[in-house]
Amino acid sequence: MSETAKKVALTQDGKRASFNLFPDLCKGCGLCMQKCPVNIITWSTDLGVYGTPAVCTTDQDKCIACKNCELVCPDAAIRIIVKGKK
Amino acid sequence: MTREKIALSPAMPKCWNPETKPHKFCPGCGHGLALKMLGEAIDELDIQDRVIFGCDIGCSLLSWDFFNVDSVQTHHGRTTPVITGIKRARPELIGIAYMGDGGGYAIGAQHLVNSATRNEKVTAILINNTNYGMTGGQMAPTTLPGQKTETTPYGRDPEETGYPTLGPEMVAAIAKEGAYVARGSIANLRQLKKFLKKAIQNQVDGNGFSFVEVVSSCPTNWRTNAEATWSFVEKDMAEYFHVGEFKVPGQKEEK
Ligand SMILES: Cc1ncc(C[n+]2csc(CCOP(=O)(O)OP(=O)(O)O)c2C)c(N)n1
Ligand code: SF4
Ligand code: SF4
Ligand code: SF4
Ligand SMILES: [Mg+2]
Repeated sequence: MSETAKKVALTQDGKRASFNLFPDLCKGCGLCMQKCPVNIITWSTDLGVYGTPAVCTTDQDKCIACKNCELVCPDAAIRIIVKGKK
Repeated sequence: MTREKIALSPAMPKCWNPETKPHKFCPGCGHGLALKMLGEAIDELDIQDRVIFGCDIGCSLLSWDFFNVDSVQTHHGRTTPVITGIKRARPELIGIAYMGDGGGYAIGAQHLVNSATRNEKVTAILINNTNYGMTGGQMAPTTLPGQKTETTPYGRDPEETGYPTLGPEMVAAIAKEGAYVARGSIANLRQLKKFLKKAIQNQVDGNGFSFVEVVSSCPTNWRTNAEATWSFVEKDMAEYFHVGEFKVPGQKEEK
């Protein structure tokens, strides 16, 4: 993956992967929430680029690092970093 | 749960222009997903410096500064002939024409038909969101029977306005050997990327016309939340618009 210029990300660390959300990119569409197989993505108290709720996970240790959320985000607002991988 | 602030590179395709992100599409719009897969396809084929990207009138025009590639924004329905002209003048370039269903199947249908008939060596990508998104959600050729839009407030009546256009089926029927024709969906992004890569590679190989329709979404005009958006794409649209490859060079037609 590219080395796009860095942006502020809100990071949540978990057993298998970290969930990184870029508030300046998240439009609060909710598409990612629907595609998480373990249903841990929810509305955040942090706001996205349009002042609507961004997203976060309720329990990052439950994340299975499938990257579905990253894949279906039309705005590249999520980056999953799997443990032990660069 | 603690959320710590860190500095990190977003997972964007390399050929995206990060300065224009967040892009101008509405929250949850399928254009963003199609362009993400197209970006990854361009990266994986390593052709960023050879692509000329054309976008139509309609929401597709919001991508005029989307990629770090030479781009042109054309008149409504005219993206295929503009890219065709550029490709004829500069055959070493890779021409990608990006348009909506109104642009490709209504006002620009003749260009799609004739480019396919002439087997022009360009790649056309058409976003099927079952309406005219940019102008406020009027009926498009792809609007489903019974679907409510601004101009079909009681639902589209096929008796009066016909059945939705089946673009890839039509293009496959008229295209010559060497053409590549497929329909992907934002419901299966990995498959969509595979189709887009094949459609670009087909042009690189000089085989002929390449066309990919993308079953996409328009949550703003559909007035759908995320759950209903996915459901309309994955159930209602999938029932009518079948995903798959309709013409592959060198492959025997299944009849
Ligand atoms: C020659 C011409 N006719 C009509 C219009 C008005 N117009 C602008 S966008 C549009 C429809 C766009 O719909 P579509 O091609 O499906 O793209 P979408 O916005 O849905 O992605 C129309 C009819 C125009 N700009 N130019
Ligand atoms: S990586 Fe998979 S399991 Fe983890 S938050 Fe995203 S969708 Fe859910
Ligand atoms: S899909 Fe992306 S933009 Fe939409 S809510 Fe999730 S992180 Fe935000
Ligand atoms: S109007 Fe529809 S197609 Fe246009 S950007 Fe918004 S959601 Fe996407
Ligand atoms: Mg449209």
